[in-house]
Amino acid sequence: MKISLEWLKKFISIDDSIVEIAEILSIIGLEAEVSSIPTQLPGVIVAYVEKTSKHPNAEKLQICTINDGTKSHQVICGAPNIKSGQKIAFATVGSILPDNFKIKKANIRGIDSFGMVCSEKELNITDEHEGIMILPKGLNTGDDFMTAYGYKFISVELDITPNRSDAFSYLGVARDLACYKKIPLKIIKEKKLKSSGSEKISIVVEDIIDCPRYVVGIVNNIKIDKSPDWMIERLKASGLRSINNVVDISNYVLLETGQPSHIFDFNNIKRKGIEVRRANKKETLKTLDGNEHLLKPENLLITDGKVPIALAGIMGGLGTSVNPKTTSVLVECAFFNAVTIRKSSKVLGLSTDASKRFERGTDPNACIPVFWRIIELLNELANGDLISTIMEEYPKKIIQPTILIRKKEISSTLGVNISKNEIEDIFKGLEIKFKNIEDGWSCIPPSFRPDLTREIDLIEEIARIFGYDTIPIDNSINGSFRYSNPDPENNYDLIRTYFSGLGFYQIYSNSLQSEIESNKAGYNPVKMLNPLNQDMGFLRTELLTGLINAAKFNIKHNAGNFRLFELANVHFQEGSKLEDIKENKHLAGIIFGNRIEESVHGASMMEDIFSIKGILNFIFEKKFNGKLEFSKNSYSLFDQTYSIQINRQEVGFLGHISREQTKGLKVNLESLYGFEINLEPIKKMLNGKKKFKKINLFPEIQRDLNLVLPTNLQTGKIVKLIMKIGKKIIKSVIPVNIFSDSNILGDNMKSITFSIIFQHPSKTLEDTDVNPIINEIIHVAEKDFLAKLRV
Amino acid sequence: MSIKEQLESVRDDFLTDLESFPVNDKDIESLKSKYLGRKGLVASLFSLMGKAEPIDRPLLGQKLNSLKDEIYTLFTEKEKRSLKNDPSFQNPNLDFSLPGHVSSSGGIHILEQTLSEVKDIFKSIGFHIAYGPEVDDAYHNFTALNVPEHHPARDMQDTFFINPEVVLRSHTSNVQIHLMESLEPPLKYIVPGRVYRNEAISYKSYCLFHQVEGIYINEKVSFAELKGCLEYFIKQMFGPNKKMRFRPSYFPFTEPSAEVDLWDDEREQWMEILGCGMVDPKVISNVGYDPERWKGYAFGMGIERIAMLKYKINDIRLFYNSDIRFLDQF
Repeated sequence: MKISLEWLKKFISIDDSIVEIAEILSIIGLEAEVSSIPTQLPGVIVAYVEKTSKHPNAEKLQICTINDGTKSHQVICGAPNIKSGQKIAFATVGSILPDNFKIKKANIRGIDSFGMVCSEKELNITDEHEGIMILPKGLNTGDDFMTAYGYKFISVELDITPNRSDAFSYLGVARDLACYKKIPLKIIKEKKLKSSGSEKISIVVEDIIDCPRYVVGIVNNIKIDKSPDWMIERLKASGLRSINNVVDISNYVLLETGQPSHIFDFNNIKRKGIEVRRANKKETLKTLDGNEHLLKPENLLITDGKVPIALAGIMGGLGTSVNPKTTSVLVECAFFNAVTIRKSSKVLGLSTDASKRFERGTDPNACIPVFWRIIELLNELANGDLISTIMEEYPKKIIQPTILIRKKEISSTLGVNISKNEIEDIFKGLEIKFKNIEDGWSCIPPSFRPDLTREIDLIEEIARIFGYDTIPIDNSINGSFRYSNPDPENNYDLIRTYFSGLGFYQIYSNSLQSEIESNKAGYNPVKMLNPLNQDMGFLRTELLTGLINAAKFNIKHNAGNFRLFELANVHFQEGSKLEDIKENKHLAGIIFGNRIEESVHGASMMEDIFSIKGILNFIFEKKFNGKLEFSKNSYSLFDQTYSIQINRQEVGFLGHISREQTKGLKVNLESLYGFEINLEPIKKMLNGKKKFKKINLFPEIQRDLNLVLPTNLQTGKIVKLIMKIGKKIIKSVIPVNIFSDSNILGDNMKSITFSIIFQHPSKTLEDTDVNPIINEIIHVAEKDFLAKLRV
Repeated sequence: MSIKEQLESVRDDFLTDLESFPVNDKDIESLKSKYLGRKGLVASLFSLMGKAEPIDRPLLGQKLNSLKDEIYTLFTEKEKRSLKNDPSFQNPNLDFSLPGHVSSSGGIHILEQTLSEVKDIFKSIGFHIAYGPEVDDAYHNFTALNVPEHHPARDMQDTFFINPEVVLRSHTSNVQIHLMESLEPPLKYIVPGRVYRNEAISYKSYCLFHQVEGIYINEKVSFAELKGCLEYFIKQMFGPNKKMRFRPSYFPFTEPSAEVDLWDDEREQWMEILGCGMVDPKVISNVGYDPERWKGYAFGMGIERIAMLKYKINDIRLFYNSDIRFLDQF
């Protein structure tokens, strides 16, 4: 909501600048930002258009002579609405408009131009930029524009929180300001005009929960006309466009009081009786914005007893709207149920200034005074005569709650003692009725504050006006010990640190994916009812797809080598209930390019499947003491796949990223490998306590063993055999050299050199300890794997 | 050969050997023991003493001792010099202007780093950390938090629905409820996690972001304590001179509610950084605690927003598009 300073001053006497007012409003809970015309615009003056003539070289441009009271300026102007004799806002050469727009001498299509005739948009008053802003005739030529006229449009934009329906009006904003500044609020005096007739219509309300109060009256002799300048200007300063005097009155009073009203063309209401009811099936209504709505049972309607004439609390019907021929009107001021209007507005996706106020809760007691305010203005500005009595349907009076508030509850909640006088001043300023009781007050909040129903609501009001910044800061640390791990996920920090140390960048990718993406891994993804768009309709079931997208992005941006990982939640669905939606913590990575870059010092080394294997060995065996195994498998995202088992549990896959996933990338993708692991089954291991192993101080003996083996024999089998035989005293076995040469080794054979390190936990090993083991290894290898010792 | 002659011959040999002083420690050691060892040449000269005339012995002894000293001194000097000036490490043609071997590590995401910092600050004043589900029922995301179904407050957060009763959480406040449902008060927790909003993606908003929720429940908790806690956090995170203010706001689950603004010196305006307030008595009673006995405060902040303010990052999408040119800056 936009509030102009000029209008606001009708309700309170304040000298503060707009910036100061915005600051005060913000610190009392009505978040405000100055976004209007600046307070000063030096060099922008009131001027008039002496004459205009066509630009010889441009169809749409005119050469204008602008008179500033002392001399004339030649200005090229493209506005279609410029005419001689108009008073306009003239930005002279050297002046600076909003957004740092500097006015300079220019040459437009061969003709010099000195200054600019401003549109409302250029002055930051409205978005109007089609034509120039035309000023009232009475302004003095040569006067400073801001002092003479522009000040009327200085305003603040308010962001009103959903609880504060009352602050959606000039009166409400002024009341808060007056309370904070301890100054009086000037209220609008109610004028009850005498009725010149006794017309009557019937009012039927189907459900008083939907519509607890309904007030109407009939006004004749209406003359539709332009609104007076002051009204047009105030509406404009508040962000509303003027339509005509009658429509403007309804809008003006809405902004002034926060109470929506509706004015019908009475002659176009066929049956002279009002019925407020819910819509029937297949009923339709064309609203005054020209849209035809198929109505639903959620919609509350105003009907003429049969046909809908308005969407209650939201928008009137086109057929009964005020138009240039209107002479008689029906004025409606109602109190509708907030939830009813909200549902009605939601189901049609139609939100208006009226519905926004009703759905937050309006003041049931405003219906009558606002009715009279409208009658008064219709009389003053549109020649209208009230020809009916005030007709009202209000079967059950709405009673305000009584709230007890304890003084000690205020001080214990806020942590500060606020004096009795100060609290009572706040009550008075906010029009909360109060009575002293023992240790506190008994309060009745005003009916325009439906948000105040409990003690805590009143405490908040006290704190708000007292000032949050006035409440002292309590520096003590309170609480009690809790004997549990302060961060149950702190072991993930270790994983992230290890991966970062291994050259991986952590990524955070989008959890929302398209149907195709989220189905890649073969799990059933969680689908959204109201997705942002089709590319983000599902929750991801795995992390690799996001990593592949990240890889593609970086490859497209010329990244040659990278390692990326993500540690995050994924979801899948086993059924339709909440319990069937599973959330798992996954870890996944992707690598690409060279592990070691080519340089003057040496050749490059490409990432390959053993990079992944080595990384996983390091993290899960070396760092977390797990048992890691791999077996050949298949997975939709990989070409060459191994499944990963940790501590005998299947936890994921590794492999070369399938070419299907990277189609279209024009680089060599030979080195694009990845892995994905579900951490849920190994959480216990990850959270396990580390234990120190005593360092073995006995000397190591290193032996090389060179075996010739069948080519198709997996090296791992021999490693396992060696470890098994020398279990107690072999510390490690590493294949250090492999070669095949049929001339030397014979066909289908390979030679592998194993470097074996022996170490005994409790004594110094001698050759006599090691030799029999080597002999047994050779013996078993020969027998079981057709191996030969190479000498 | 007389002992004297032998003595001269040992000295000559030693001086010759000294000319070609070895370069590695093993050869140096054997050269040393060749002359000065227990079975070395000098020792064998001493063993010849017995064969000399008794009258010559004192003089011979003197000469032998001075030879021993001479050899020892020369050897030690040479050894010292040889350790100092190993020619194999004296390459005059080394081109040190060549680049070093590339050394690098990866990096932990700036949001993760920022979160760690946030966690550390709150851990230092007695908060524990808890986690909760990203997919939750509407009860925990809204109703239990005092957001009625047909209330404009639901519009404050555009929520993704899985079905009318199940949502992608729009804030981490759902975990407040889970914590209070499962633990007895007092309690003091922060809850980090991913939250989702059905908002158009732009430089300032994304369909998801990361929040840290805080909740403290005890028998006596005041707004002044909430101010103390958050002032401590802001000053730890942004420096002791950071200008901040508490501004009244509205959240259905806290009352009084506040927003904390930080002053941005560059833009010369207040920037919203977090929301907070005293836990609404309705929320306290919704989880089965007695609102007359238990009070509390709660707060919620966006990690992205903190990182953007702290590191002057101008586009929220940079956090999620995995651009290495962004990632490697932190």
